[in-house]
Amino acid sequence: MDLSINFEKVDYIYQPNTPFAHQALNQVSFSLPDESYTAIIGHTGSGKSTLVQHLNGLLKPTHGRLMVQEQMITPQTTNKELSDLRRQVGVVFQFPEAQLFEETVLRDIAFAPKNFGIDEEKAAQLAKEAAEAVRLPDSVLDKSPFELSGGQMRRVAIAGILVMKPKVLVLDEPTAGLDPKGHQEIMELFARLKSQQHLTVILVSHQMDDVAEYADQVLVMEQGKLLTQQTPQQLFSQVEWLNKHHLGLPHATKFAFEIEKKSTFKFSPLPLTVSQLANQLANFLPKGVSQDE
Amino acid sequence: MNKILLGRYLPGSSLIHRLDPRAKLLLSFYFIIIIFLANNWSSYFLLFFFMALTILLAKIKIGFFWKGVRPLIWLILFTVVLQIFFSTGGTVYWHWGILSVTSTGLVSGIYVFCRFVLIIFMSTLLTLTTPPLEIAGAMESLLKPLKKVHFPVYEVSLMLSIALRFVPTLMDEALKIMNAQRSRGVNFDQGSLMQRLKAVVPLLIPLFVSAFNRAEDLATAMEARGYHGGEGRTKYRVHQWLYHDTLSCLAFLALTIGMLLLRNW
Repeated sequence: MDLSINFEKVDYIYQPNTPFAHQALNQVSFSLPDESYTAIIGHTGSGKSTLVQHLNGLLKPTHGRLMVQEQMITPQTTNKELSDLRRQVGVVFQFPEAQLFEETVLRDIAFAPKNFGIDEEKAAQLAKEAAEAVRLPDSVLDKSPFELSGGQMRRVAIAGILVMKPKVLVLDEPTAGLDPKGHQEIMELFARLKSQQHLTVILVSHQMDDVAEYADQVLVMEQGKLLTQQTPQQLFSQVEWLNKHHLGLPHATKFAFEIEKKSTFKFSPLPLTVSQLANQLANFLPKGVSQDE
Repeated sequence: MNKILLGRYLPGSSLIHRLDPRAKLLLSFYFIIIIFLANNWSSYFLLFFFMALTILLAKIKIGFFWKGVRPLIWLILFTVVLQIFFSTGGTVYWHWGILSVTSTGLVSGIYVFCRFVLIIFMSTLLTLTTPPLEIAGAMESLLKPLKKVHFPVYEVSLMLSIALRFVPTLMDEALKIMNAQRSRGVNFDQGSLMQRLKAVVPLLIPLFVSAFNRAEDLATAMEARGYHGGEGRTKYRVHQWLYHDTLSCLAFLALTIGMLLLRNW
């Protein structure tokens, strides 16, 4: 499999050579294959957002280098060289509805392709496709984005990124502030897009349930350092280690762990999602219970 | 973004940091007035010596002060050049039409440069050693006498503190929006002047929207906590005039006397 992203000993220091200097990334090295779904977890201030901003060249490493979609980024890389990368790597920032500004929803979605030199008509066509991909009803396309509900604004903002047809999709807590239904819809949307468009997805999240459900590998950050890169199955079975680093567990895993503590019941492997948990429990229940009720 | 030094406080516990903000505010203004008393080399020397002393007392690296000068350097040089070319008197070294370079011109050019540097250094010292909110507080208490003439002292100082408080917040917000728009292909630092002006629209509109939202939230939060105008409000930070404040006033008095003596020398 080809590598999509490769970090080599990346350091990033905010405001170097001042009393405010702060090292946000410290010797971070990892690589992610094409079409992988990677979750990045860690506490606030652990360097997740800084890391994410390197992926489309908003920040350049202070030392070290990284490769994203065959584009090398070193401390010396100029912004001009990065323009093409911005098109290939779509970043959905936290509360992305803050980026909306156009008069109509459609024009706002079409903003990015126009910036990359696509003509008006084609951009509008792409925007319509993107709006459809995020399931925005046609009726809102001519409205002002500021008239919409929070959930719909979020979709417009996401469509404004998807419209670039990126190969890598970076999501920085994309569901923060949404209600449970909106949350689920958005997460499923990303999973669907990933398989349809063969995207490489990177998700920054505090929601361990999402990490367990969607990611195929997890990067754990702490104080600017990359602690470990593992599959969710490996990571969430080290309950002690997670506790030590004050990281949460998926609800299903926590439930299973508590049951194991209080009984002789053993799960193998430790379930990560509610449906895995239900399957394992169902095997131990006498058949036909549901019919009795 | 980080080039803007205005309102950037460097935490510390030096003597200068601990001075009463009212004293600092008044004395820095006073220093700026005193600068205009200087009219010969020895008096400028005395001012620089005094400035150096206060910087030493504040324990702040001199580099920060030069950073304060840098954004204004073109304005300063422009004024200096005007002084040099348009002053008359003394030995004439070169002249062409109304332009001339004379010994008086050169000297007053250097004087103007010194004045600018001193003014910027002193105001930088004030903002580096005093948190913005303390400055606003000091202004409020100094403006209090104006209440007699129905000047809205509390409201003005509240507006000032809110404005100062939200400078970093809005800067963060602007940075976030810039990042989001950059990711959508906006180029803020390339292209013609027209293109760059156009690039500001996708930054300014979201920034205004969020500033208005924030203002509304803030108003709600203030009302929820019982804000009803400044009348009868007590202060969390109470200014206290201490021994070292009087001492620093005395230092300025000594400086004034020194300046007056040197001036007529």
